[in-house]
Amino acid sequence: MFWLPVATLIVGLLVTGALALVSHSQFVSNEKRLLALRVRDADAAVAGALSGIQTPLVSAAELADSTHGNMAKFKALATPLVGAAGSGRPYNSLSLWRVNSLASGPVAVQGAPPILAAQPSEAASFLAAAARSPKLSVIGLLKVPAPRLGYAFANPGTTGGYVVYAENALPANRHSRLQSTSAFAGLDYALYLGRQQTPATLLVSNVRHLPLASPSHAETVPFGNNTLTLAMSSRAPLGGALPRDLPWIIGVLGTVLSIAAAALTLRLTQRRRAAEQLAERLEVIASENERLYAEQRGIAQTLQHAMLPASLPQIRGMQASARYEAGEQGVDVGGDWYDVIDLDGRRLLLVVGDVSGRGLRAATTMASLRYAIRAYAAQDDGPPEILNKISRLVDITECGQLATVLCAMVDTEQRRLTVTSAGHLPPLLISDGAGQFVDTEVGLPIGVEASASYRSTTMTVPSSATVVAFTDGLVERRGESLDEGLERLRETATRHHVGLPELLETLVTELVNGRSEDDIAIVGVRWTS
Amino acid sequence: MDELKPQPDQLISFDVVVDGDHHATVSIDGELDMSGVDPLAARVDEVLGNGVTSLTVDVGGVRFADSSAIALWVRWASAVDRFELREPPPLLLRVIDAMGLAEKLGATT
Repeated sequence: MFWLPVATLIVGLLVTGALALVSHSQFVSNEKRLLALRVRDADAAVAGALSGIQTPLVSAAELADSTHGNMAKFKALATPLVGAAGSGRPYNSLSLWRVNSLASGPVAVQGAPPILAAQPSEAASFLAAAARSPKLSVIGLLKVPAPRLGYAFANPGTTGGYVVYAENALPANRHSRLQSTSAFAGLDYALYLGRQQTPATLLVSNVRHLPLASPSHAETVPFGNNTLTLAMSSRAPLGGALPRDLPWIIGVLGTVLSIAAAALTLRLTQRRRAAEQLAERLEVIASENERLYAEQRGIAQTLQHAMLPASLPQIRGMQASARYEAGEQGVDVGGDWYDVIDLDGRRLLLVVGDVSGRGLRAATTMASLRYAIRAYAAQDDGPPEILNKISRLVDITECGQLATVLCAMVDTEQRRLTVTSAGHLPPLLISDGAGQFVDTEVGLPIGVEASASYRSTTMTVPSSATVVAFTDGLVERRGESLDEGLERLRETATRHHVGLPELLETLVTELVNGRSEDDIAIVGVRWTS
Repeated sequence: MDELKPQPDQLISFDVVVDGDHHATVSIDGELDMSGVDPLAARVDEVLGNGVTSLTVDVGGVRFADSSAIALWVRWASAVDRFELREPPPLLLRVIDAMGLAEKLGATT
């Protein structure tokens, strides 16, 4: 059950990592691009500064040539160009050399003596080469204690034979905070003579410990017959702090979200598992309940049928039939019953009764009433006497039960029907395709009053008449008048001209359609002669 | 005042008020059958045990009553000196009449 949260966490962290990497590489490439732009700007500034070095030399060379080495004019030109370091003048030293006698030193010097002159052979070869070059010649005097940069220029268009040479001291330790121009703002830089970035070729830098921090970017700029290399790196992100911090922000937020998502997934997984376990247990309980219900219903029906007559008496000239239907909620034994008692071979006593309530209490009351009626019938009591006597057997104030009972005595030969009711619905008399409920006085149900008195109604019936007695489950429906149910029974019973057992079956089927809430007992007799 | 709201699985609500010397009024609404009579029976037995001898049962709101419910009313009618079943709806009155209990239950419209 842990694979899902773990997978969630892994996927979340992978996505976070990928986003952070993409963000970081964006930042790096952006910084590189911005740095390159800044270095190009700075390069342009350096190039501008270099022209400020070259131009006065060119002017001085032309002057020397045109005046054939006039010292006074050279001095006049050189004086404003030369000063000590930090004076703001272009050079620390400016000197004039005759090309034909380079080995004998400068013919004129303004400012500090050129240290190139200390090494005459080197000076001669450098200045000789400079005299042949149309470009400014640059030399690095970097191995001496006070390193300098030297520049030489000879006007190639004249034949005067003079070379002008200037020197500039490099800053102490070649370190300078330097140029507060916007081109260098916020950047570390190192300027080298030539294309190599080595300590030996370093001219100036604003950091004491080289190399520059990564990432750095270098560009070259032509400087006379030589080249300068400008390397730079940025002290702070050029694109601002947010792009630099974004990978970290993404990483932290993504990790937190991944952990939260994994925790949530874990929780949901656990809940789902718990719900599934609960559902499984409920299913087991439900199927167990269903089994118990079926078992109990089976027991109830078995008991019910055991308390009803196993067979009905057969006498000449009279057919009897009965049915019992358990209601939908029939997990308990019901209180409905029927009975047909052969009194003397020519008369039958039909009994239908209904004890209020359900369960064993109702069933035992039903059984005692049924057998009491059989006993009194055997003593040859008439229906009113039988009901009067059994009314003493039940007391509603003690047991909370009452019972409605219908006793109908049918005489085969005399075609007489005697009906007595203790709070029960009247029987239906059917003959010649017409039906009517027997109109008889309704006495109190059994259990309401001890020694209640009952009166019977007697009538003579046509030949082939049918009498059907039943309990209320056959006709009662919630929300409907009792009379509607009775009328439905009468109509159905007179519409079907079939044998008695089929008639009872049809009535049960059509009237309740197998969905009766209540139990149904129905019993009928038909004169056959 | 004693009131029970209908439970989700029950269709009945009732109210039992002792509103005079030895008199109580029981109001019942809904469908009253075997599955729902026990709480009602217990509550009324309680007031009957406390000396109530006259009972008015208002069944104007009863849509259905099975024989268990009617048996319960008959038991109350047998337990008190004066009993009245007030305002039984026509459907209910017809059943009570068919059981021969209209007089016993003092059923009046």
